[in-house]
Amino acid sequence: MGYFRGFAVTFKKMFERRVTTSYPEQKRDKPARLHGRHVLNRYEDGMEKCIGCELCAGVCPANCIYVRGADNPPDDPVSPGERYGFVYEINYLRCIHCDLCVEACPTEAITESKLFEFSFTNRSDAVYTKDELVVDASTGRPQHLPWEDWRPGEDEHTSAWMRATSPSGDATYTGRVSWSGELGHGVRAPEVGQAGGAAASDDGPDDGPDDGEGPA
Amino acid sequence: MSDETPPVEIPSVDITVDGETVAARPGELLIDACERTGTYIPRFCHHSRLEPVGMCRMCLVEVDTGRGPALQPSCMLPCTPGMVVDTESERTRKAQDGVLEFLLVNHPLDCPVCDKGGECPLQDQTMAFGPGESRFVEEKRHFEKPIPVNENVHLDRERCILCDRCTRFAGEVAGDQLIHFMDRGGQTQVNTFPEQPFASYFSGNTVQICPVGALTAAPYRFKARPWDLEEVESTSTLDSVGSRISVQSSRDRVLRFQGVDADAVNWGWLSDKERFVFEAYDHADRLATPMLRGDALGNRAPDGDALVAAPWSEALGVAADALSAAPADRLAVLGGARLTNESQYAWAKLAKGVFGTDHVDAQLGDGLPAEVVLGLPRATIDRACTPGGTIVLLGPDPKEELGALFLRLRHAVVHDGATLVELTPRRTGLSAHAAHSLRVLPGGAADAVSAMFGGGSPAGAAGLSAEALAAAGATIAAAVAEGRPVTVLVGRPSLAEAAGPVVDAALALHDHLPEAAFLSLLRRGNVHGALDMGLAPGLLPGRVTLADASGVSSVWPTVPTDRGHDAIGILEAAAAGEVDVLVLLGADVLADVPDRDLAERALANAGTVVAVDLFGTPTVARADVVLPAAAPTEVDGTFTNLEGRVSVVARKVTAPGTARPDWAIAVELADRLGTDLGFGSVDDVLAELAAVSPIHAGITPEALAASVREGVLVEGRTALARPDRTEVPVNDAYGLRLVADRSMYDVGVLVAHSPSLAGLAPGAVAGFEPSDLSRHGLAEGEVVDLIADRGTVQVAVASDPGVARGTVHLRVNQADVDAGRLIDASAPVTGIRVGRR
Amino acid sequence: MPRIPGIGDTSAILDDGLEGLEHNFVTARVEDLVKWSRARSCWPATFGLACCAIEMMATGAAHYDLARYGMEVFRASPRQADLMIVAGRVSQKMAPILRQIYDQMMEPKWVISMGVCASSGGMFNNYAIVQGVDQVVPVDVYAPGCPPGPETLMHAILTLHGNIQSGELTRRREANAGGAAIHVEPPAPVPSAQPVELGSR
Repeated sequence: MGYFRGFAVTFKKMFERRVTTSYPEQKRDKPARLHGRHVLNRYEDGMEKCIGCELCAGVCPANCIYVRGADNPPDDPVSPGERYGFVYEINYLRCIHCDLCVEACPTEAITESKLFEFSFTNRSDAVYTKDELVVDASTGRPQHLPWEDWRPGEDEHTSAWMRATSPSGDATYTGRVSWSGELGHGVRAPEVGQAGGAAASDDGPDDGPDDGEGPA
Repeated sequence: MSDETPPVEIPSVDITVDGETVAARPGELLIDACERTGTYIPRFCHHSRLEPVGMCRMCLVEVDTGRGPALQPSCMLPCTPGMVVDTESERTRKAQDGVLEFLLVNHPLDCPVCDKGGECPLQDQTMAFGPGESRFVEEKRHFEKPIPVNENVHLDRERCILCDRCTRFAGEVAGDQLIHFMDRGGQTQVNTFPEQPFASYFSGNTVQICPVGALTAAPYRFKARPWDLEEVESTSTLDSVGSRISVQSSRDRVLRFQGVDADAVNWGWLSDKERFVFEAYDHADRLATPMLRGDALGNRAPDGDALVAAPWSEALGVAADALSAAPADRLAVLGGARLTNESQYAWAKLAKGVFGTDHVDAQLGDGLPAEVVLGLPRATIDRACTPGGTIVLLGPDPKEELGALFLRLRHAVVHDGATLVELTPRRTGLSAHAAHSLRVLPGGAADAVSAMFGGGSPAGAAGLSAEALAAAGATIAAAVAEGRPVTVLVGRPSLAEAAGPVVDAALALHDHLPEAAFLSLLRRGNVHGALDMGLAPGLLPGRVTLADASGVSSVWPTVPTDRGHDAIGILEAAAAGEVDVLVLLGADVLADVPDRDLAERALANAGTVVAVDLFGTPTVARADVVLPAAAPTEVDGTFTNLEGRVSVVARKVTAPGTARPDWAIAVELADRLGTDLGFGSVDDVLAELAAVSPIHAGITPEALAASVREGVLVEGRTALARPDRTEVPVNDAYGLRLVADRSMYDVGVLVAHSPSLAGLAPGAVAGFEPSDLSRHGLAEGEVVDLIADRGTVQVAVASDPGVARGTVHLRVNQADVDAGRLIDASAPVTGIRVGRR
Repeated sequence: MPRIPGIGDTSAILDDGLEGLEHNFVTARVEDLVKWSRARSCWPATFGLACCAIEMMATGAAHYDLARYGMEVFRASPRQADLMIVAGRVSQKMAPILRQIYDQMMEPKWVISMGVCASSGGMFNNYAIVQGVDQVVPVDVYAPGCPPGPETLMHAILTLHGNIQSGELTRRREANAGGAAIHVEPPAPVPSAQPVELGSR
């Protein structure tokens, strides 16, 4: 009965649970550390966090980020301090979502959301400018562009990101929550093995720098 | 210095650095000796071109001079025999740690927004020598964030680590001690004097030497970060000093120039004009496409007579048609000082070898006869600045015209004991340090020189006493007797005075002082290259005259036989309608020729005017064919400075639109005239130049690459021409003579297109000697008519003790007041009467 | 059965057959039907170039199951495929082969540039890699990512399907000579009059 034995697997599978995720109707849950589309964050008063320092552009291995700084207009400042990001562009036809820009950012201005379902029918759509990257000033949520497939939850927790490396490479900081809880949206819960929330930095090593504090 | 000195062995001092014995030079500072032998000692305040001061204490090392090891600042310690130095001992490390922690106590950590971040010595040395982390948790000191100390330099006092470099530079090098330390203790800060900006021509250098981001340059502010800059070492073509610069660009835009320390040339310093002029090359108004006068193409323009954009093929075609229709002696080529040597050679070959005209001049009536410049024994900057040497200044104020040279001369005079004798019509930037600063009336320089050496009366040099002249002469004679080098700086002290009197004086000095060497102060860009390449009447490439055409005759299709007109002659011929085609190579004759009236008549009466230029200057606006050229940051080539030093100009960015290098335009034009110039690249031109000019035989790409910083000195003289002595009319007691000179900033096309520099032009005032002011009954600030034979200008009067009695001083090329309206190029001097209004 | 607008009362349809309806025929454009069917059986060519191809294979497998769109058959012959998924960096040596495969595919045919290497060279900004496969073949949809996940690829595929069905892509194709030509922007015409006039002489 070799003929029917051949169908044994087929018959067995007919009664197992389907493993397929029907994509347009439902999406698989994203891993906690997925690197998706970037967002540029703001402080709670609406000021942009980006200071145009170009560290992200400098560290980018794919050269997909173009930043230019400019003097903050004194009467209508865009960001705190002297300098703000005057031009900020990410070319998603080059970006490899390695997250090095997020690590390099001294003000946690650039972080990544969980959105990874977007595609373009022309090249100019793929170059995201500051207008498209910066979060909405009132809600702190990323903008949803027409060709992007956002689902509920994917624009949560864009506020900063766990550093893959600990501050200054100091082993005593490993696993500690390290972000600021401003716009970009949501404060991320600590992962397994991490000490409490943002306030947990209080019980950190006494002689170390305050890891929640960015440069002025 | 003198011939009999045998080559002596330089004695050396043996010291021990980290256990190894190294040879230091006697008197050499320990920090320099260590660096030279491969041990880097961290430092902030030490700068090899500034006096040691020992402010920052970063260079503390453990030194044992026989009394036991002790921490000593190595930048203040001359090497002595037997010195034992440990740069890596525990105590040294602890001291470095401590100094850095101390410096960082008040230094804000705003590196991400700081322009210096990424190229900051404080960052680098903290990484290399500093403590891992700070123990400082208190509030840092606060000052108002950047305050402008002048138009182009911002000062952020929070970041300052009080190293004293900028203040030392301002005082020692530039001589403009306008910034200094203020207050005491924790509030010590660098600042300007109240209400007095840091108005120095050299302020940009303080930005470059600042070891932190306390001083930043406004034109570069927040434009880029060091890691996205690409740089190439090049030569500044702005003036004829040929300062070595580093051209730094990002995304095909030049964002800054930095000085490069070339020992023979600029010592790393730049004038602000050289430093910030890159803005002009990057300006949106650059010509990007050829243009044709409408009627040349059958009324293409709506109004029939405006310049309209045209393709290269059409523009070159119109130019070539005009050139081929004109006989050789009705063709003229003016200008070319902007070009690289290669472009100049290509145009010289096109003009003299293809057109066959000798009406070619790179100077615009504002220079000196080429045979005199090339015929006098040539000096180098190093010779002029020899410690203990003697400098005779017979020309314009180097501070206004040749900034980097001024800093070298000032150093020689102030710090190296050089003796300066000035024969100038007006006080210069060096007068305060001159042994003899003599005010010579326009036209009187030759008489003054004769009187200095006891020949003739100082009648022509009215206002100068025979004693003062004799004392100056004696100083020079004493220097000659002691075998110390005498260098004469010769240039046009005033554009209102013809070249003749200056040439007479220079030749007289040459006759009296056969040992003296001459350094030309011709200012405009690569003008010395132009003379070497034959862009001057009567000359051929390689500093030879038309009579000696052996070099080029085998390569060039033709060689002119008769000497042509110089610039003034060409313009006079054009004004008389004798020029069918006038080619302007970056020559803005309406601004650069001293005689404005002549320039206007020439442009109006010339046939076809072909302008090759960067900008739509007023002259270009009156041309028939406009060809856009590439700027110095956009071409490869070489540059010849006032010593004859050939150094490399490197391309960094692409030219706007379809603008192309000047040599390529020459090749294209020749092609349309049916001649192949034979150049496909810059190296082709260089190879042909080396073949036709014996003195340039050593200028090969390999030689230039081997000596990229110092360049290669080209030596050789033309037979010295002796023009007829210029007769200067005697000045009557009530007449005044005009002294018209340039200032650093004017309304010239490059400055006007550099936003950081454009506002710095001082404007024109008529400077009168105070007693002249009262003699003519004038009040300061009063607007008067200055009346010359040529024309009249209205200008405000100012009292100026720096001018000689009997002269009126006026800056040329300033907004509103056009000194060129007064000047008659055919007259040796310009007489002035004052009209009250 | 209820009454259906435009068709009529369908309660007696079993007895009367279609003849009892008020309107017993439906009209549609054949073109729409063709586009619908093209979008729903868009067979990709088997053409994996690099790491992105792993994700492409994953997309075809059970967890994502491209068969849901009628795309499970990755054809080994370009003659039978109408979609090329450029999955991976295209080396200069591979470029002519890629173009040949594209040329062998039957019209109408579409290209998805999958991942940043195919789209722009990505982080391989060097002499060996084609800096954007649209220099070689006309690309219809770009999927970002390094590599794009299966869902990103499916997003690109669905974008493509939408465009096929709306006719957008075929219109674009007709404008550039059947897709064989690479679309090049014509140079901007030289303005007849120089905007910055420098005055008359």
